[in-house]
Amino acid sequence: MGSLPVAASRPRARRWSPLGSLPVPVNALRLAFLVLSGCIAFFPFLVMLSTSFKPVREVFQLSAHLLPQRPILDNYVEVFSRSLMLRFLLNGTIVTGLTLLGQLLLSIPAAYAFARLSFPGKRALFVVVLAALVFPRYIAAVPNFLLLSGMHLINTYMSLIVPFIGSAFGIFLLRQFFLQLPQEYFDAAHIDGCGLTAMLWKVILPLLRPAIGAFAIFSIVSHWNDFFWPLVVIQKSAMLTPPAGIVYFADAEAGTKWSVIMAAAVVVIAPLALAFLAARRQFISSLTHVALKG
Amino acid sequence: MRSSNRGSALPARSASRIGQALGAYVLIMPAFLAIGVFVLWPVGYSLVLSTMEWKLGYDAREFVLLDNYVKLLGSRVFWNAALNTVVYTVAMVLASIALGLGLSLAITAGKRLQSFWQVLFFMPIAATMSAMAVVWRFLLDGNLGIVNAMLARLGAAPVAWLTGDATAMGAVIVVGIWSNAGYAMVFFIAGLSNIPEALYEAAAIDGAGILRRFTSITWPLLSPSTLFVLVIMTVRALASFDIVKVLTDGGPLGATQVLSHLLYQEAFQFFDTGYASAVAVVFFLLVLLLALLQMKVEKWVHYQ
Repeated sequence: MGSLPVAASRPRARRWSPLGSLPVPVNALRLAFLVLSGCIAFFPFLVMLSTSFKPVREVFQLSAHLLPQRPILDNYVEVFSRSLMLRFLLNGTIVTGLTLLGQLLLSIPAAYAFARLSFPGKRALFVVVLAALVFPRYIAAVPNFLLLSGMHLINTYMSLIVPFIGSAFGIFLLRQFFLQLPQEYFDAAHIDGCGLTAMLWKVILPLLRPAIGAFAIFSIVSHWNDFFWPLVVIQKSAMLTPPAGIVYFADAEAGTKWSVIMAAAVVVIAPLALAFLAARRQFISSLTHVALKG
Repeated sequence: MRSSNRGSALPARSASRIGQALGAYVLIMPAFLAIGVFVLWPVGYSLVLSTMEWKLGYDAREFVLLDNYVKLLGSRVFWNAALNTVVYTVAMVLASIALGLGLSLAITAGKRLQSFWQVLFFMPIAATMSAMAVVWRFLLDGNLGIVNAMLARLGAAPVAWLTGDATAMGAVIVVGIWSNAGYAMVFFIAGLSNIPEALYEAAAIDGAGILRRFTSITWPLLSPSTLFVLVIMTVRALASFDIVKVLTDGGPLGATQVLSHLLYQEAFQFFDTGYASAVAVVFFLLVLLLALLQMKVEKWVHYQ
């Protein structure tokens, strides 16, 4: 399975063109295509943002301007004061954070063992990891729901976290990084008389930081954005995470107050969107590196 | 738990080997327990469940062997969902690939703003899909929707995009393309940057035009990337759930019902556990087939 055909390490494209230098009319077409596609790609974000600053009644006028005439913050105030949005954000943060923590705690030792130790059955066990990597989540939905409800965990944070802490992808990715580290690091740690735990904390974790970062982006994006699983295991609105919470809010509470709904959507999207804008290259590289996991 | 001491006498070495193996098992045990319980075991259990007649909440379970599959394969609802899944997948994947390729070529053909365009088109991947689907619901709303408001200015009659038989699937596909084209684009940009510059220089010396350069250099050398993107996009399309659930809930009258959504409904709205498991198994086989294909493609792409 080796590396993927993604030059993810350098998402900035090179400075020469695969099509050569373009004649002026072709270049104009090229720009027109980019600008038009860019407008369409950005249009939903624009409407969401601008509507979120409009008075509720302005949305009902078909002749309304695209941008708010007098931007107001009332919709945001309403989202935070009269919906469960703050609770959704808290739920999302707890679930995403603990899921990542659990995944790292389980994946790092396993990845280390697969990369650096020899033991009988290693190949077979790694094939199991690879198989788990490609299994679609839907096949596990019913059994996991039954299991969690048998343990009386429905409507708890646990039900949103536990099914995902065993991350085949985490093992796969971190193992690759362990394999790339020179053996000398580990030998040196031995000579210094480091025990396994000390070695893990003092030598391995600092070296692993880029790998953990890449995995963390992937994990946080997938679990913050996950809509399917909360829908399955959460039936109490106060326990929903933001993606399911916004849909619940739009369906059950906000009616046709579209400007309030748009403000809620902005609030849900903002954390990851801002993180993405702040760390564009890391996001693109992490999220494409992991194309394996659909 | 200190592992190997290199180069020591034989008995010590084999002892340390056993120690190392034991240490390794301890290290992988927690992860395997979690993966075993929540990823692997469910596959087997789904197979078992799919042979049962069992409505969740009732005690009565009965082994019915292949009855659920017979029911499934004879069900219009299932075939409708399967057909819709194929339609959505083919349309979304082909359009995303075409658009992603076009964007990647257009972006890399320019000297400036390459990162700007890339970030702009990648934005939908980072945005929470269910929230963006709510935004799309607003855009496409039959009464107050922005798209209809724009049409009204042009003098056109409003269209019930999401509730109309003829338009609902189209709307779902368009939103799918919107959310995925940027993903395809990133892979194509990476693929383009792997094509040796010298080839283009040689082509330029030979006086090859834009079209010629594309058909004889870019497209053939990009084909591994294209194949790779094709498989990845197909897996994404099959697994997509959020867009359908939020935009149309599978409606109107099943017009946008896809397999992932059918599975969700049978399992968690109608609580028909046995039947839903049969849907899950069929879905699983489909995705597994693609995953195997993906591995083959990856190998081919990697070692070509």
